[in-house]
Amino acid sequence: MKHYSDLEFLRLSKGQRIGYKIGSFFYGIPRAIAGLFIKLWNLLKAAGLTVVREIQDICATFVKGDWKTKISFVIMGFGSLARGQALRGLLFLLFEVVFIGYMVVAGGHWLSLLPSLGKLGPTSEYNLVLDTYTTVYHDNSFKILLYGVLTIFFIIAFIYTWRVNVKQNKISEQILRSGKKLKGSKDDLRSMVDENFHATLLALPMTGIMVFTVMPIVFMVLVAFTNYDGAHNGFSNNLFTWVGLDNFNTLLSWSAGSGGGQSYSATFGEILVWTLIWAFLATFTNYFLGMGVAMMINKKGIRLKKMWRTILVMTVAIPQFISLLYVGKMFARNGLINLSLLNLGWIKEPLPFWENPTWARISVIVINIWVGIPYLMLITTGILMNIPADLYESARIDGANAWQQYRKITLPYMLFITGPYLLTSFTGNMNNFNVIYLLTGGAPTNPAASGAAGSVGYTDLLITWLFKITTGAESQYYLASVVGIMVFVVVAFISLVVYNVLPSIKNEEDYQ
Amino acid sequence: MKKILAILLAALMVLSLAACGGGDNASTPADGGGAAAPAEGGEAAPAEGGEAAPAEAAGAGSELAGTYDVTIWAPDAAVDLTKSQVDAFNSSNELGITINATVEPVSEADAASNMILDVSAGADLYFFAQDQLSRLIQANALTKLGQAAATFVKDNNTAGSVLAAQAGEDYYAYPLTADNGYFMYYDKSVVPEEDVDSLEAIIADCEAAGKNISYELENAWYNAGFFFGTGCHSDWITDDQGNFIAIDDDFNSDAGLIAAKGIYKLVSSPIYVNSGNADFASGSAVVVTGTWNYATILDQLGDNFGVADLPSFEVDGAEYHIGSYRGCKLLAVKPQEDPVKGAALNQLAQYLTGKDCQLQRVEEFGWGPSNKEAHDDPLTQENPALAALDAQNEYSVMQPNIHGSWWDIAKVITTDIKASDGSDDALKAALQKYEDSIAAVFEMTDEVRNAFTVIGTVAGTNWDADLPMTADGDIWTSNDAFEMEAGTEFKCRQGKAWDVAFPADNFVVEEAGTYYVQLDAASGEVTLVPAG
Amino acid sequence: MNEKRHMGLRTLNRISNTTIYILLIIISVIWLLPFIFIVLQSFRVESTYQVGYVIPHEWGLQNYINLWNSDFKRWYLNTFIIALASAVLITVIQLCMSYTLSRFRFKLRGPMMRFMLILGMFPGMLTMIILYRVLSDLGLTQANAVPGLILVGVASSGMGYYVSKGFFDTIPKSLDEAARVDGATRFQVLYKIILPLAKPIVIYTILTAFMGPWGDFVFARYVAFGTSSGYNVAVGMYSWLTNDQIARMYTTFCAGGVIVAVPVTVLFLCLQKYYVEGVTGGAVKG
Repeated sequence: MKHYSDLEFLRLSKGQRIGYKIGSFFYGIPRAIAGLFIKLWNLLKAAGLTVVREIQDICATFVKGDWKTKISFVIMGFGSLARGQALRGLLFLLFEVVFIGYMVVAGGHWLSLLPSLGKLGPTSEYNLVLDTYTTVYHDNSFKILLYGVLTIFFIIAFIYTWRVNVKQNKISEQILRSGKKLKGSKDDLRSMVDENFHATLLALPMTGIMVFTVMPIVFMVLVAFTNYDGAHNGFSNNLFTWVGLDNFNTLLSWSAGSGGGQSYSATFGEILVWTLIWAFLATFTNYFLGMGVAMMINKKGIRLKKMWRTILVMTVAIPQFISLLYVGKMFARNGLINLSLLNLGWIKEPLPFWENPTWARISVIVINIWVGIPYLMLITTGILMNIPADLYESARIDGANAWQQYRKITLPYMLFITGPYLLTSFTGNMNNFNVIYLLTGGAPTNPAASGAAGSVGYTDLLITWLFKITTGAESQYYLASVVGIMVFVVVAFISLVVYNVLPSIKNEEDYQ
Repeated sequence: MKKILAILLAALMVLSLAACGGGDNASTPADGGGAAAPAEGGEAAPAEGGEAAPAEAAGAGSELAGTYDVTIWAPDAAVDLTKSQVDAFNSSNELGITINATVEPVSEADAASNMILDVSAGADLYFFAQDQLSRLIQANALTKLGQAAATFVKDNNTAGSVLAAQAGEDYYAYPLTADNGYFMYYDKSVVPEEDVDSLEAIIADCEAAGKNISYELENAWYNAGFFFGTGCHSDWITDDQGNFIAIDDDFNSDAGLIAAKGIYKLVSSPIYVNSGNADFASGSAVVVTGTWNYATILDQLGDNFGVADLPSFEVDGAEYHIGSYRGCKLLAVKPQEDPVKGAALNQLAQYLTGKDCQLQRVEEFGWGPSNKEAHDDPLTQENPALAALDAQNEYSVMQPNIHGSWWDIAKVITTDIKASDGSDDALKAALQKYEDSIAAVFEMTDEVRNAFTVIGTVAGTNWDADLPMTADGDIWTSNDAFEMEAGTEFKCRQGKAWDVAFPADNFVVEEAGTYYVQLDAASGEVTLVPAG
Repeated sequence: MNEKRHMGLRTLNRISNTTIYILLIIISVIWLLPFIFIVLQSFRVESTYQVGYVIPHEWGLQNYINLWNSDFKRWYLNTFIIALASAVLITVIQLCMSYTLSRFRFKLRGPMMRFMLILGMFPGMLTMIILYRVLSDLGLTQANAVPGLILVGVASSGMGYYVSKGFFDTIPKSLDEAARVDGATRFQVLYKIILPLAKPIVIYTILTAFMGPWGDFVFARYVAFGTSSGYNVAVGMYSWLTNDQIARMYTTFCAGGVIVAVPVTVLFLCLQKYYVEGVTGGAVKG
């Protein structure tokens, strides 16, 4: 594709400009993808080099270091203690003691079971005296996997801390050699509210994220490689075990397998397409209509601005499970809307809001507008008020009408400012569980995909399908996990492409 | 410094790990200890217990004496009654058992999905609907009943409800009600009493009055009734562990086509509503549902309350009474590690499913009893809904253990019929798809998928049964010789599907006689081999 | 001539304003109607199921009395405790996170933000089973669901730093630098200079954190797991709309909806100003 310079671009006719823009957008996509892989490769290469360098450094520290440093290789924190940095030394030492203690008491046990995920499931025993059956529980695959993963996390943390400990000795030696004094415990404490204040602030939130977000995600990714489901729940019936890539084969193979009528991949494809359509429509209908409402309220000469805004904002406050469940029931076949219209004689038979696939899809989008407009109205109001008034003034003097002002000033400004918001809102809508689940629960049923792990409906998004898989008749957690990974891949792909193609999103410092 | 952050982070992780790991560690040896005790008890028993085990159970009363903390899941409506029944058990039992019960409202429809999530945190005793039996056994959320308990179930309950508690040779739960079926409630002011036997008349009445018919046909539990009404069957075969081995199902047949036509009659009407709720207040004049809606509907209809068994529908001049599923609700005892508590819970379960407790439920909610004596009690016999249920029982099918996916597959029959134009071809296509889906879920073995069968007007069948053939290399021969008249038509098809079938046009027998059917799968040539 | 044109513009303006008023009235009606319906139905006492009319034939407080006699009180209290605790703790966590990421430039900042961006792309629904098991091991499920839900909600809240970071980005950095030159520590800068300026975003964070738990029902249902005393309002009330209960509990559901929505809405309307500032200041910049 020919690349135009700015000057050449300005010479183009209107149609050519649009064509050029669209063309260059799509032209940019493959390059962006290729760029991604190159970046990834560079990242890997850099990581490899870092490891090599670190090992070299560790060896060098050992060879060149004094006896305090050498002992620190075995007894962490010894160097710090010996050099008068009591707080650091004690923390290092404490960590090592706890680590070794944990590994001996529990960690080793979990690690040794990790490759097999347990050997013996529960057994049933008959008690003749009491004429009852009892169950004796043995291994628990779930816990083995969970604590195995935690133990690995812990080992990584230990290696890192050990490395820090070694580096610490090297730096201390250097400082002492250059004749300066080392920092004492008091200085360390003080630095926590000053030069290292960021570390203090982040310690708690990041720990929470590590334990309650990262660890579960690692765990669930691993589940995708096991046969964990209702029939193998790992403890109370059968143990589960590693199955390699079987589950990915199940989801991605084209043959009509246990998908019931059609293959899982076809079902997955259908749901994915609808998910993307939904996310696109839900994002942009809300965006433009919300902007429209905001502009109406903000228009000069419109009174009671605050009241209109308040009415809309009130709906943000009411929990969705109340409003959506209620509205869902209102639109039901024998709900309020249909009954009223019938009573008024406007329709002869009830409208199939939730029964006809197309109706249902349009209905969820329309009701989602109802949900989303107030929020968008608030966001856009703020930005609209920030647009410099003199822009409009000069446009008016040039004789631009309202529509032209919107096209040339309002819209470009809005799009520039809200670009990142649109992206997050798009991915947010892809995973918009509440609206779909509370309104339709996925209905109406898609007959072709009837057997695909929980019944799949025409309004199901990937996220609600995932939920249905885990709560369905067979509780196929492994399949849900694979679907979850696919959702991640799709979202990540879209985000990366958009990030790389739209330059305005890239640089966060631009906004500051 | 960064190091301090690292150390802090690490220390926090240690703490959390120690909290989780430590807690678990403490429980692991304890589990082992607990596991050892019942095993020893079990082994020690034969020396003294011997054959007299069932008798012993009653005599073991003193061993059961004690206080037990028990969680019970009962449907919301029955929470209070269950509490008072447990209290009554505490004061009346002679074994010295005191149950300290927490009764939580968990619907019997959700019991399985809840239990499967986490058996160890689930209730000790819970109500559940019959169709969940196999899922619960698979999840190991049900205890196999001992001999005395099994005898209790067999002796006291109606035949159907005994079957409901059974998987293979063993019994797994106590029947609680035998009313998990459906029948028809109607508004007498819209549907006159003389019309309640005819689906066509009911549809006409409702259309004339602009009222709806609520019948949740997009739910396999309901739409299967039409097929049973025309003589179809759908049975699952399980092994002793409750695992499904095979399905025996003929919905995709001529009789099934008649049922599909019946369904089409109803769903193609503008007044059809896919709902099993008490909809009389929102435009319906007929609702097909069960005893659980009795009180609400009585309240909604007042003087116009009517209840009857399901109507008949007419296809090609013949009348077919709509069938239904009939099932039970059961009371389960969760597997226990402590045999004494297990035995005590079984005593409580027997009390709760006994005659008196069942009669109390009839009185309070109109739930039909599974207990024989309670069923014959005047209190039960005089309840109009239970009478309608009894009338419908004649046409109903005892709900077998059903593979969980079947519900999702079979409900789609209605969805497809509704979307079709009602022509025979379209209805047949819907049924064919159903059969294909079942076959796909059931992962027919290669053997079945590759095998050829004879299908046609052979041996008294009419294109509705596959007669087996055996292969010798590429040559397939029918297992039996068939007596065939001139003009008999058939084909040989593979995997009970039409993708591969020989010959292209039906094979027509020219001369009457007794033949084996032979097929050369390589060439597709079909020949008749005279028998004898 | 000139005057005529002026007149024309004015008429045009009046017409367009009238149209806008009409549209706004229609919109307001559409937005408010469902809520008015819920309120009206909550006072209907002649029947408890769904009906085809809106205005009750008989008015009364029976549904509210039913609520009072059910476990609803307990659920409400649970939710309130969760909401309150979340409001405090989540606010602290998110402010720490967003302030740090907005103000400090340290080596791991970029990788950390990217890492969290990637984490956010995993559907959270997936991790519910494992979180349930972890909580269950810690003894924080069923009757102890309240602390369990608070723990999980707070622990993962650091991920939602975008909005407040966007807000902090709008506060000029020169303020910090001036204070640093005067010898203030980082902590003093935050405490004495930034926090007072950040009042809207603090209130915004408190408000959103407080409102979240009222609608949480999927995960809360897992954690409470069949134990009514551990339910929050959403879990408890959701069960009223299931097939076996809707006929008895529909109007009670409406009454519960009113009781849940009124305080939250009032609080929200009182603090609306800050919410709007927070949204407009933060949401679009993150």
